[in-house]
This record gives sequence, structure tokens and C-alpha cells, in this order.
Amino acid sequence: MSTTDALYERFKANLEAVNGECSLAAKADAAKVVADLFKEKGLKTTCVAETDFLKELGIVPALKDAGVEVFTDHIRLHAETAQGGISEAQYGIADLGSIMQIGDEVDARIVATMSEDYIGIVRESTIVDDYDAMFDTLCEMPEIPNFVGFVTGPSRTADIECVSTVGVHGPLRLYVVVVQDA
Amino acid sequence: MASLELKQEIQEALKNTTLSRTLGNFCATYPAKREKSYAGVDFEATRNSIKEVKSYAAEHIDELVDEFTKNCTARGGHVFRAKSTEEAMDWIRNLVKEKGVKTIVKSKSMASEEIHMNKTLASDGVLVQETDLGEFIIALEGNTPVHMVMPALHLNKEQVADFFTEYTHEKNEPIIAEEVKTARRVMREKFTTAEMGVSGANVAVAETGTVFTMTNEGNGRMVGTLPKIHLYVFGIEKFVKSLSDARYIFKALPRNGTGQRITSYISMYTGATEVVSDKDADTKEKKEFYAVILDDPGRRAILGDPDFREIYNCIRCGACLDVCPAFALLGGHVYGSNVYTGGIGTLLTHFLVSEERADEIQNICLQCGRCKEVCGGGLHIPEMIMKLRERSYESNPNPVYKFALDAVSDRKLFHSMLRIASVAQEPFTKGTNFIRHLPMFLSGMTEGRSLMSIAPVPFRDIFPTIQQKVENKKGTIGIFTGCLLDFAYVDIAKAVIADLNSIGYYVDMPMGQSCCGAPATYMGDRENAKKTAELNIEAMHADQYDYIVSACPTCTHQLREYKQFFEEGSDMYKKAVELGEKAFDFCKLFYDLGGLEESGDDTPITITYHDSCHLKRELGVFKEQRELLTKTNGINLVEMVDSDVCCGFGGTYSIKLPEVAAPILAKKIQHIQDTGASLVAVDCPGCLMQIRGGMDAHELPIEVKHTAVIIAEKRGLI
Repeated sequence: MSTTDALYERFKANLEAVNGECSLAAKADAAKVVADLFKEKGLKTTCVAETDFLKELGIVPALKDAGVEVFTDHIRLHAETAQGGISEAQYGIADLGSIMQIGDEVDARIVATMSEDYIGIVRESTIVDDYDAMFDTLCEMPEIPNFVGFVTGPSRTADIECVSTVGVHGPLRLYVVVVQDA
Repeated sequence: MASLELKQEIQEALKNTTLSRTLGNFCATYPAKREKSYAGVDFEATRNSIKEVKSYAAEHIDELVDEFTKNCTARGGHVFRAKSTEEAMDWIRNLVKEKGVKTIVKSKSMASEEIHMNKTLASDGVLVQETDLGEFIIALEGNTPVHMVMPALHLNKEQVADFFTEYTHEKNEPIIAEEVKTARRVMREKFTTAEMGVSGANVAVAETGTVFTMTNEGNGRMVGTLPKIHLYVFGIEKFVKSLSDARYIFKALPRNGTGQRITSYISMYTGATEVVSDKDADTKEKKEFYAVILDDPGRRAILGDPDFREIYNCIRCGACLDVCPAFALLGGHVYGSNVYTGGIGTLLTHFLVSEERADEIQNICLQCGRCKEVCGGGLHIPEMIMKLRERSYESNPNPVYKFALDAVSDRKLFHSMLRIASVAQEPFTKGTNFIRHLPMFLSGMTEGRSLMSIAPVPFRDIFPTIQQKVENKKGTIGIFTGCLLDFAYVDIAKAVIADLNSIGYYVDMPMGQSCCGAPATYMGDRENAKKTAELNIEAMHADQYDYIVSACPTCTHQLREYKQFFEEGSDMYKKAVELGEKAFDFCKLFYDLGGLEESGDDTPITITYHDSCHLKRELGVFKEQRELLTKTNGINLVEMVDSDVCCGFGGTYSIKLPEVAAPILAKKIQHIQDTGASLVAVDCPGCLMQIRGGMDAHELPIEVKHTAVIIAEKRGLI
């Protein structure tokens, strides 16, 4: 197993341990993997916070081809009703199954926060080893971006009778598609 | 002294079956969950780093607040440093008015509770919506948090369903998953319409002007993403210098708080982030971002007091609550501050909420030290609570205790009282070794257990008659018996001598010794504690012995701490140091002097071991006695669940708060029974008295013996 594959396997195992789902896709297949996920989960509508990378992968056309209603603008409005939310995550943390949302762009934060089913797309090459490695990366940035978020699995609570329940105010389900970009 | 009101509140808490079930389950599973979450992470190193970065911040707080202000402002934020809680609230009130805010969504902020934000703004006609599920539920109930991390633990799903039915005007079923869905639905509308979001910070970073919020539910992110105005309220204790410093706190906080390696969300906001200003037009702008920092006199008092400065290092993880045997029974409401609960809550209440309330609730602490083992900031919580107790006692000594403690520190008076008691107790012992019932107001002392009776002949009178056979004498040891060995458990003292004789040591008993002073110390009576220290230092003549042995870890610990009463370098200080350095608890000394050997009578017996709080946590001895026992032929040692959780004796605790001590003891007895052992080994006469008394009261045929006695019996030494 190569180093990146080993990191991916750890990432996947740790994400699954906190009720997330994870799949690995070659760059050329990524859009199909996302569209298949929508089919499998029965998701009909979604908001997408577009980035150059997501455009390059062709996520939006693939979803439209699959019959999914896709919103790429007026995200704040549509997020109130759309089931899905897709954005690019800037890093992954193998040791925790976390993805990182870094940047000020509000649409990316809205889709990751308001959707019922959130899909994070992360490049395999950005998966770092552990929490400390991630913190080191953040500390080395010349200026810390306005927003940095660690996202680890779907939202959860144990506030009633200490019973662990998945899905509260944030996403009820969380999927990460790791794209082989090397 | 615990007041009648506190005792009534304790009774109420004990009656809440949901609280005892949920909290009991949580506290029972917490240590293992926490332990697991630390796999691959060095907890001690982590908390040392936390201590380091927080101590640095405490020493440079003014610089850090200025630096934060500069950096946050440079990134488009506004910072207000409030010199009092009133000033903070006034400022926020004006802001809310000025901006025409009608609805606020709030993720958890304990600082906002301190300034009574919800109530004040509500009186101005503003809705402040608690969005954290637990906080939402208790807001509907009109109650205060029962736990710092899990605020609604005291309510069951049926009660939650009733609150939700009333709130939504629709029938809610008592199904947790459905209730969570209801919370999501009703809160969604608030999130999307509120003009302002309020957040609490877990950490604030000076160098970057960043604030951190950690949540699981995602409400914190909603609050930080949707409303156009975002207000942070937090105290100066949240500061660290650099971004890198913050990492240590988030390593410990989720693991200590809920046994998670990381929570679902850790969000860092630096200055004003982008927000959608008009969703229909899809326009975006920078949000209005405010940070109100509480720099009130209470927080300054913590920083200015060397005895309590450490409180600043608290990361509000709540671990001290989760391992506290008293908290596990009572929950947080009895602490009564409406904000902070448990051990750390007692300290914070003193400085930030009410000194009077803190005076009351410091009584709930058993001084078992379990919180210290898990504290994320490395705080000495029990010692600080002791300080509170001392200060409270100094300013308001309880006349009954004062009389008793004065008597105890007068050796002749105390000893003659004990001799009289030996005769006077007869009507209560009914010829057994126990006092099962005491008359009237003293009856609480025997709740759930029987007290031991005073020995007819004290050990000091027996000692001269003991024939010590020592072959190949290696040295002489002075025995410090303490009150319990001298006047109640003379058999333990005899066994200690027989055991030490068997490995070549002669034992001498200096007759001038008296009570070690622990009762005075634990009641907060420093004056009498010092008096007994002086008396014992002179009486024990540590210079004449190779070692000093005690079979009571509380006494041993007290002997070792005598030096704190005297000025460094003084003659008494030097003597206290010598005594402290020579003083050992029986097991440790016996083990170190070569007491470990394969021996025993081969008669099979199943034993379980109970760790005394002082022996395990203050003296660090827990392996030696187990090895001594397992090397003894015939003994099968079976560990009980939570062997190192307090038995409820806690010195005078079981007399002060028997209503709390009794259920703690009942739990201990259950764990003992579950092992199937017929004998419990202990190393502390206090634990022995407590557990033996519990066995007698519950009419269980399980024996309780001191390790020294078990060894002596199994080796045929007595």
C-alpha cells in the first residue's frame, strides 16, 4: 500500500467511526461517484458551492444529467429547502476523519451547515497525518483566514438522557469523496 | 457547616430518579470512555502544555487583551473590554437597541449567563433563543444547567416531550430521535430569521484575534454563519497567546468533556466574515462582528490571589464533575450558582457569582482528590476548596466544631474524653463492636452504616505489655498510631508491630503523640491543625528513629504536610521536614524494607481491595499492597469496579453530610459484593470504619480488614 493509500484508509476508518461515509474516486470518476451517491441516497435537490476544482471534476453537469436539481447561486435562499449540499474541503485529517473548511466564502459554509446531506470533496494529496500536523499547517499560514473549521462527521447530541443521537442542527448525514489528484 | 437549606436541596436531588439514573450511568461509563479517547495522546504532557500556555496568558493578560483587540479590529471586528458584568450587559443592551435587533440566536455561552443576558434582553422585548438542545430544554423548563457540558441531564424523554408539546402546540412523542428532529425544525426558523447571533468562546487567540467555538450539534456554526450581526461574549480567562497554544486545549477539551477525540465542529472566527445580506438578491457583505470581553473584579480577584490563580488554567471541560462521587449522586443544581457546578464550580462561584453560596457548597467536596487526576488544566481543585473552607472557618467558625476541635488539639483532654466515651457508649453498642443508633440529632451519623465502638483499653496502655521478638535487628521504627488505631482499632496497631518485627525492626511508640490534626485541617481550622502539628513534631522525636510508620494514610499524609505550618528555615520547619521525610504508610514501608515474600497459610480466600483516597492519590501507593497480598499463598485477589473511588468516609464528611456519604457507601458495597469476595482489604482505618459499618448495617457477612492484619494472620505472626 502506498503512503497516500494508507492515509486514505485511516481517514476512512476514522470517519466511519463517527458515523460519516467515505469513498475514494479517481479524478475522472469523481463526478460519477457523486451522482451515484445522490441516486443511492435518493437525493433530488442540492446546493453546490462551486470552486475551480469542482468545475474541473464536472460535478454539476453530472448531477444535472442524473436528474438532480442543482443550485449554484442564491445558495442562502435555496439551502432552506435543498436536501443536499456540496463543497470542497481544503484538507483532510487521517487520524480523525475530519475535513477542513478554510476561507471566507459564505456559500461554502452555508452548504456545509444547513443541508441535511452534506458531501465534502477533498483532494487525496491534502490529507494530513494528524491533528498536530493540521495545526502546524494553520500556524504556518501568513494570515489566518477569516474562517477555519474542523468538521468531523455529521452533527450529534447526547443532551437527552445521554443517548447519542446523530443529526441535530447541522447535517444529518455526511459523506466525503476523496479524489485521487496526484 | 452545611445548612439546613443545602441539606434539603440535597434531599430533593437524591429523589430525582432520572438524574440519578442518567448521571449515574454517565459517570460510571465516563472514565473508560475518556481513557479510550486518549489512545495515542499523552494526557500528562497535554495538560502540562495547557498549564504552561494558560499560565503565560495569566501573567501577560493585559498585553494579550490589547493584542487581541488590535488584531481583531484590524480584521474588521469591534472589541469591548468590560470592567464589570454590569458594564458588559449595558453595552450589549445598547448595541441590541441601536441595531433594532428583535431575535437573537445563541450558542452556549456561560459568560452570558453570568451577566444575565437572556433575562435582561427579554425585559427589553428581545427574544434570546438558546439553540443548544440541552440549553433549549432547560430554558423551556425555566431551570438552570445541571451539568456544564450536559445541561439537561436531570430530565427524561417524557418530560422533554411534554415541554415540546407545550412549545409547538403539537403532540410530541417521548422518542429521543423524534425530539431531536423537533428541535432541528423549530430552531431552523429562528436561525434563518434572527438578526443577531451570540456565541461563547472556548479559546481566544491574542496574536491573530481569533475566537474558537467547539460544538457537536452544529448550532454554533449556524449562529456564526447566518445572522448579519455576530457577538462573542467571553471572559479574560479564555486567552492564549498564539494559535499554536490553542491546540493543546482542543486536545484535552473534547476528550475530557465527552470522551470524544474531537467534536463534530471546531470553528475559528477571525474578525468579520462574509455573510449573505439579502438572500433574495444574493448579495454578500462583511458581517458586523463584536467581541465583549469580561474583565470584571471577580476575574481579577482570581488572578490576584496566589492561592487561587490556578483557576485561570481551567478549560471548562467538566471532567472534575464527571469523576466526583458526590456530583454523580447530586448533579449540579445543589451547587446553586445557576452557572458553574461541581468542584470547579464551587471555586468559580466564590469568585464570579456568590461567596456566600460558595461557603455553603464547599461542604459537598469529599476531598477524595479524584478530580485532580483528570483535570485538563492540572488544577489542584481539592486543595483550593480546602483553602475556601479555611477562609470560611476563619471568618465564621462553627461553635460546636470549634469546641470539638479545640478539645482534640488538647491531647490530655481529648484522650480522657475518649476514655470516658469507651464507658459511656455502652448503652448504644449493646455489647457489640458497633454503635448502630445514636440518639436524636446525632442519628444522621449512623445513616446507612454503624460506627465502631471505642476500645475498652487504648493501644497506648497495651503497648508496654507487647513482647517484641526481633531477630537480626536492622533498626527501630516509631509508630504513629493516630486516634483510630490508638482508641478503636488496637488490633491493627498490634499487627503492624508484628509484621515489622518479622522483618527485623523494633517498634517504639512515643507516648506524647496525639491526633494528627487532619480533622481540624479538613474542617478548615488551621489554628488547631498547627497546634497538633507542633505537639506531634515534638512528641515523635523523628531524629531518634530510622522511620516513622503509620497505618492510616490520612495521618501519614498529614505528618508529611506539617512543614506547611511553619516558616521555612525555622527550627520547627526543619523538624517537620525530618518527620515528613521519615514518615511512611505501613504498606509502602513494609514493602520497601523487604516485607515481600512468598508466604501464607495456603487457606484459600477471595479478597478484594479498596484504595484509600489519600494512599492512592496523595501518597501514590497502590501497587505495593496488591503485590503483598497476591504473594500471600491462599489469597485470590479480585479487583472491584472503581476500587479507587471514595467510600464516603472523607474524614468528618460522613458526619457533616451523611445523606451524601450513605449512597456513596452503598455503591461501594455493591461493587464489593459483585466481586464475590469474602474479605475486603483496606489500608485506611477511616475506610475500614466506613465499609465495615456499611456491611454491618446491610447485614452482610463480608469481613473488612487492614492489610497489616491480613498479612499478620496469613503469616501466623499474631
